[in-house]
Amino acid sequence: PLKCYNLQTNTTLFSLRVKPLIPDPNLDRKPTSGSERNADSLPSNRTDEQALLTTILQRTALNIIDVSAVDSQGMEQHEYMDRARQYSTKLEVLSRTLSQKKPVPLPSLTSQPHQVLAADLVPYADVQQVSKIAAYAYSAISQIKVDAKEELVVQFAIP
Amino acid sequence: MTTALTQGLERIPDQIGYLVISEEGVLASAGELENDEHTAGVIMQMVRTACRFRLHGAAEPLFKRMSVMFEDYVYAVTISGQKVFVVKRQNNQREPVIV
Repeated sequence: PLKCYNLQTNTTLFSLRVKPLIPDPNLDRKPTSGSERNADSLPSNRTDEQALLTTILQRTALNIIDVSAVDSQGMEQHEYMDRARQYSTKLEVLSRTLSQKKPVPLPSLTSQPHQVLAADLVPYADVQQVSKIAAYAYSAISQIKVDAKEELVVQFAIP
Repeated sequence: MTTALTQGLERIPDQIGYLVISEEGVLASAGELENDEHTAGVIMQMVRTACRFRLHGAAEPLFKRMSVMFEDYVYAVTISGQKVFVVKRQNNQREPVIV
């Protein structure tokens, strides 16, 4: 069985029972007669190579969790239906409150709209200045570019 | 009711049209903006966006009047009592000539 730990509180969050992908034979095999198994030496004949490949395969299979094969926690049919109904009701309530949300009301900017609108227009000099500032900003933004320092794709070398 | 709203707008110097808009739609329109629902829609969006600018989370919006300036005319916009007032005015300002 696999267990999921919360590292901070050091408690088990849940555990899964999983079947290994490949039936796992006796892993602590007796070493081959005579010679020690040297990790760096290459297998010298066919059987050794096979054995090595099988070990690699088994090790990989042990590290892979087949999610589809996990048993559910055993919820009964009626429990499942009840919960589905519960969730669907909650969703309905939430979607109703969301659609009822009113848009933000308009703030009041002045109590004298006619006076404000009749006041002098923005001076031409101000408009020129703002246009110039905007042009500078636009120019600066358009000069932002990526400065590539290293290769993005590299060969992954296995020593 | 419309006369009270529009009387003041009519008298604005060099105005060539106006709109009074509420959340529900256009309440009054005249001149070059008569029945111009499209411009009303665009200006409503612009002014709502402008109202969202706040300095350091201040409660009040930053401005009293929003001006949309084109070469020959300006839309001056403000909000009062849940209504948006828009006036189209002629813009005769040019580069000052030094004699």
